This record gives sequence, C-alpha cells and structure tokens, in this order.
Amino acid sequence: MRDIRKFDARPKLDGSWKFLDDITYEGMIYGQLLYSTCHHGIIKKIQFPKDFELNEFTIVSAKDIVGKNLVPEPEPDQPFMAEDKVSHFGQIILGIAHPSKRTLISFIKQIQIDYQELPAITDIEECLENEDNVFGREIIIDHRREIELESNWIHSHEIYYTPHQEHAYMEPQGIISIWNPADRKMFVKATCQCPYFVKHAVEAIMGKAINEAVIETSEGIGGAFGGKEDFPNVLAGITSLLAYKSGKPVKIMLDRADDFKITTNRHPSRIELHTYTDPATKKIMKLNVDYRLDAGAYQTLSPVVLSRGVLHASGGYNIPDVYIRGRLFRSNTPSNGAFRGFGVPQALAAIEAHADKIASQLNMDPYDFRKTNIFKVGNEFPSTQKITENHLEECLDRVVQKSDYRKKLQEFKEWNVAHKDKKGIGISMGYHGGGYTGNGEKILNSKIKIIIEKDAKVKIFVSSTDMGQGAHTTLAQMFFEAIKHPREKCWVQLPNTSKTPDSGPTVASRTIYIIGTMLQKFALKIKDEMGFTNLEEYVASHQSDFPREFQIKFTPDPTVSFDDNNFRGTAYKDYSWAACVSEIYYHADTYQIELKKIWNVLDIGHPVNLKIAEGQVEGGNIQAMGYALTEFFYKKDFGRMQGFTDYSIPLSLDIPEIDIEFIHTDSDVAKGLGEIPMDYPAPAIRNAFHNAAGIFINEYPLTPERIFKQISSPKNHRI
Amino acid sequence: MKITLKINNQVYTTHIDADESLLDTLRKLGFKSVKKGCDTGTCGVCTVLKNGKPVLSCQILAARAEGHDITTVEGLGEKADEIVDAIVSEGADQCGYCGPSLVVTTYAMKQELKDPTIEKINQYLSGNLCRCSGYEGQLRGIKKYMGVK
Repeated sequence: MRDIRKFDARPKLDGSWKFLDDITYEGMIYGQLLYSTCHHGIIKKIQFPKDFELNEFTIVSAKDIVGKNLVPEPEPDQPFMAEDKVSHFGQIILGIAHPSKRTLISFIKQIQIDYQELPAITDIEECLENEDNVFGREIIIDHRREIELESNWIHSHEIYYTPHQEHAYMEPQGIISIWNPADRKMFVKATCQCPYFVKHAVEAIMGKAINEAVIETSEGIGGAFGGKEDFPNVLAGITSLLAYKSGKPVKIMLDRADDFKITTNRHPSRIELHTYTDPATKKIMKLNVDYRLDAGAYQTLSPVVLSRGVLHASGGYNIPDVYIRGRLFRSNTPSNGAFRGFGVPQALAAIEAHADKIASQLNMDPYDFRKTNIFKVGNEFPSTQKITENHLEECLDRVVQKSDYRKKLQEFKEWNVAHKDKKGIGISMGYHGGGYTGNGEKILNSKIKIIIEKDAKVKIFVSSTDMGQGAHTTLAQMFFEAIKHPREKCWVQLPNTSKTPDSGPTVASRTIYIIGTMLQKFALKIKDEMGFTNLEEYVASHQSDFPREFQIKFTPDPTVSFDDNNFRGTAYKDYSWAACVSEIYYHADTYQIELKKIWNVLDIGHPVNLKIAEGQVEGGNIQAMGYALTEFFYKKDFGRMQGFTDYSIPLSLDIPEIDIEFIHTDSDVAKGLGEIPMDYPAPAIRNAFHNAAGIFINEYPLTPERIFKQISSPKNHRI
Repeated sequence: MKITLKINNQVYTTHIDADESLLDTLRKLGFKSVKKGCDTGTCGVCTVLKNGKPVLSCQILAARAEGHDITTVEGLGEKADEIVDAIVSEGADQCGYCGPSLVVTTYAMKQELKDPTIEKINQYLSGNLCRCSGYEGQLRGIKKYMGVK
C-alpha cells in the first residue's frame, strides 16, 4: 500500500500528454455524423443542399457497409447505421467527411431529411409503466421459501425511480481511422475502454474489405466511466468506413452537444418493492422486487446491466423469502449503456431508501434496523451464494462510530425543532461484486504478455486502458512491488491490439482485481521458478536467456460456478463492501439540499495505491452526489440536455468534506474499487434529507423543484 | 484575415476566419494544452490567460485577442512547477483533460487573490469542471500552494 505517483501526472498537467484530438495525420480529413431527429419513423427522402460540390464530400450510409450492419458486442442487435427506418432520436444515418471542418458543419446543417413518423415512446415513465414494452430476456431470482404471511406483518410498498445520468467525461468521444490498402489493414486510434470491442466492431462493419483492424488507444483518455465502453464501437465502425471510401485518414470528434444527444447514458429505472416485516423481531421476512430498466432502442449492454442490477437488488439484508424479477423495456431513445455502478446505483436507490421507510414504519432508528437485518456469515444471497465474510457489518459499525451518527442524530433533532432550516443525517450500505458476473471471467479468458529485456526492463502488454483511473501505474506497481523490482524498470505499454493480447475490457471493477492479480501472481511465480531474489541481478547473469517473452492466461477458480439460466450459484467470487453516512443542511426557503460531509468505510481488500484509491472514492462520491441532487438529463416535452449549460454536474463550490477509511487492508486480495464509491452515497443523501425534513422522496435527483412539488402536492410529485 | 497574436511572449502572425475562436487558433498554432470540451463557455478546459486574467478561449474571437498577452500552460514553464507539484503530490490528477486549464487558472488566482480563503478559492475555480477527481484532491493541493489551511 504505497503511494507511487502516477507516471503520467506531470505530462498531463503541463499539457504535453496527447489526447485524441491533439493528434493529426498527414492528409487527414474530418468526419461528422448525421443522425436522426425523428424518434421513430421511415426515412422518406434525404436532400443535400445545392450550393456545395457533392463530390468533395465522402458520404457513407448503411448501403456502403461491406460486412454486417450489426454492432457485434455485447448483444448483437444494434445496427451501425439506420437503413430505411430509424428507431430513436440520435440514430446515425450518414457519416460524412471533408477536408474542411467548417465546410462540413455548414453542409450537414443544411441537409434535409423527410420522415414518415411512427408512434414513439420517448418518455421514461411511459416506457417503464407499460409492460408491452418489455424486450429481451427476463431474469428471475427465485429464493422463495413458502413462508406464510402473518396478518400482523408490516407491508411496505414503494416504487422507486432513478433518472438517466450522463457520464460527462471532459473529453468527448472521438476516433481516427487510417486505411492502408497495401496490407489491407484498418488502423484505428481510439479514446476507448475496450480496444478489442472496437476491433471486433470495425472488422464486422468492414467484412471482407479488410484483413484486420488494429486498434491503438490515444495516450490520454479523458475520462470514460463506462461511456467509452460501447459507443466507440459504433463510432469506429463508421469512421473506418469513411477512411476506406475516401482513402484518407479520417478523424471524427463529437462536439459536446452531439455527445450528450447520441451517446449512451445510465439506465433510468423503476423498481417496485414489497416487503413484509415482523413487528416483533423487526426482521424483513419477505421481499418482492420488480426491477425495470429503460434500455433505449436496442439491448446492447442492457442484459448485463440488468443481471448485475438484480443480483444486487436485495441489498445487504438477510431476508428468508426473496423473489426478484428483472426486465428491460424498450423506448425510442438512444441505447443506454455502461456507467460506473452498472445497475447497482439503481438497486441501492430502491432497497436503501426502502430500509429507511420500513424503519420509520417501525419507529426504529435506520442504523438499528440495518443491524437487525444485515446478513451474517453463513447467510446467503438470493442466488444461494453463501456469505463468507461479515465485513459489511464492520463497515457499517465503523462508519456510524466515526461519524458520531448517534450523537448527531440527537443534536439535529433538537436543533430542527427551533429552526426552519433543517439538518439531517443518513445511512446507506452496499456491496459490489468484482469482475464479470457469473461465468463471465471464465469466458473472457484474459491474456497478458510480458517481455523482460536484456537490461531487466519489464514491459507489460494488456488491453486494459488507463482513462484516468491510474490503471497503468497501479498494474505496473503490482508487478514490481511483488518482486521488489525498481519502479523505473516496469512499464505498461499503450494498448494496441496487434501487440497487446486480449485481457478483456476495462470495465466491471476488474482491472486491478483480475488483471493486476494475474500480474502479481505471475511475478511471484517467475521469482520462484527462476529462483532469484533480485531480477536485475538474475538477468545480468543469464543474459543469453533474455529478452524473454511470457504469455499468461487467466486461471478460473474451479470452485466458482454459476447457473446462468436460473441465476443460482456464485455470482461473484469476491465482493467489495461499503457503508456510508452523509450529513446535509436543508435550506427551507430555497428547497435546497446542501451536502456537508460524507463518511465512507470500505473493504476493498488491499488498496494497492492509497492515493489513487482515495481519488476513486472521492470522484465516485461526487458523481453520486450529482446523481442524487442535481443531474437532470431528460425532461418530458423537452428531451435531452445538450451540454453543461443545462446539465449540472457538481462544481468546486458544491463539494462536501469527504472522509475515507479502508478496512481489512492487510488482505491478500486487491478487490474491485472503481464502481462501489458511486453505488452507495446517493441513498445516504436521500435518507439524510428524509431525516432532516421528514419528507420521503422516491426519485432522484432531489432538486429544489422536486422538493417544492412534493411539499405542495405530495401525491403527484413526478416532474 | 491576417492577425498578429502575442502568445507566451512570442509573436505569431496567422490567417484566421473572422468568426474563429481563440481556442481554435491556439490549437492550430500547436498549443494543444488548450483543450476543447464544450464550445459553450461552461466547462473551463480551454482556459488561457489574457493579460494575466483567466478567460475562456472558446468564447473569445481570435481577432479580439490581438494586442493582448495570451498565456497558455506551455508559456508558464517553470512557474507552473510548484502548482503541478502541489496537485501531483495529492494524487489529484486523473484523466488530465482539465489539468492544464486548472494550472493556468490557479496561477492567475495566486496573483489575484491577495487574501485567499477556502471559499474564495472554491469560487475562483468554480468554472473549471472536473468529472474524475471530485475536486477534493485538486483543492487539497491548491490550498497548500495558496498557503490556506
């Protein structure tokens, strides 16, 4: 647990680190996407403006696709480009390129498309309330235990809603494609999380036209958070088609408005919970979950978001009888995709608010209620996976203790009697399974390549990208710390699919947990096999053996098995645990919630690099704060937001004090960290508001407008 | 049209379109530390100094920058080192896309705020958006640099 400074920190701050838009190739032209402004309809006519030389432009449509008009991963149901019909606003119809960006923009602005409009579902509520919109596979987790309902059990029923959330990475999406007819290779430079997804997409769209697509990431990836997991596949496909047709390198950089309008977002959800609680024991006896996600027009990533969501939907509670039903709903909006948390922030928005609801019905403190119902070693998840550690309860106890929860609760109660403004404190807890769900890691079968040079320099080749989370610093650190090799002799290479093997996508809190652990184990294995104490000395005395290349493959744990059909078994080998307390100040005159402080206690196992780990928690907390309080992405009769002018992410002015503590840091395992700090804070903020003002709101964000409406017309508060 | 700009104490003569933003001109001239994030003057990653004061280069016509001293992080050179060290020592940099603009804004803030407080710093930096760090680490480093506890 050492603070190794990020190797790229200085060049990023002095401006010398190159992001995609900082790269130019000779003869490069600029591309842009023409997308549908109709939600659902048939394309009748595309009319190009007259006062342009059409032959100066390279224009591609679905007709130009040599291979298949289907993005191959994750769920192959989304076309790269619309054919004669559009299924959502923002669906790409044409890719257009020109040497002058200015001419290109002016040309595209004047293109007229006539549609025959068809009925469309554009409103989240309309989408999620209507069961006719269900598509894709339904997931059932059935852990019913034939428990008879007692007449005195307390029935709690609520429907919780969560909105879209925009990733708002600072660097918009972009791709550069270069076609080389000599070796028939398409070279793609990408700001992306999953180079191999991009490779498969480009090879799918180009078909027989190319021998191979080679994907290399840009040096800098300006934030991603899941947003650069699947959309780059579409963008790279179309950019490559333009490069092929024009014969020139093509760069497409989305501007902020297009990035907001057409790329993926966090899935809006509607989660309906029924619980039955025994008033004598204060224990939840039965839970029924109806978990719905608005997938958008195509499934793409939604089935895997749904599976993670339902597996986390019952929270950290030991409930004997649980039934969870998860479904995707189709709407005529862009497909929703991956976003840090991946279905878990939605799950916790429901179950963690519901815990406070039941506690208030029982007239019980939310902490005491959680203590009564929290699962213990030997209990099981609804998937029947056994709970093997009680670290969630330790996190909860520790965060309550260090935040002075009990004392503050009492103080605020007294303070609130005498003041119009209110103070509040709230709790939440959660967990996040590391790596791909179920058998995912076994199927991914990640590979790593390592080259040890004659001068004992270690080069690590992985497809895991560094998008700011410090993955390349931490991965190298896991290798060199394991065998005490000098830091400056160990580097992770820039991901390039012709050099780096497929170590899987950079998602699912798996990079350190899966790939890092593979590197660490490998370092120890070669130390053992070669019998060295100092790698540099060993290489010096065995010069003829070097440079030497090693291939490493993921070894699945044979004890881990999961039944994908019935959702039974070990869903995740290791879980990260966390609990949180948040303190708010409610300004009654302006209906505004001010977040004062968040306390986090997490068990992520061994934090490899403490500063980087803390940075992940801080960043995740603040994204969760935006999710809970300000980030409104879609408004009925208005549509999507178009930039930072109307989509309010937190500013330096808004941030609370943040306290972070990691427990069980002496563990051998470095578990997942990237997502969990986004999962749990939003419900703690909501619960703190409930504590302060006594108002129960079951939908984010808790904007002044929503609070005002809830107060003035409690029955019809949805806005 | 042809204009002459003074950037980082060097004179550049260049052809621009009349409606070209200073951001686009700076990037064309090779000052790639100045990033494009929104084009609507809301994200702050295109911040440069105009006569020592932070401005959003996407909101200024290049032609209007004639006759003013423009400074980017490339031009701060060693003067940026202390700021960079302060931010790096807190592990506050993540994706880095907002980094250079934060450095130039902080440099200007140090000259401008005679009596810095935490509130004044938060206010001064509120136009520099960051989505990765949650600002926490950045502000810890910057407060140290500003001599505020």
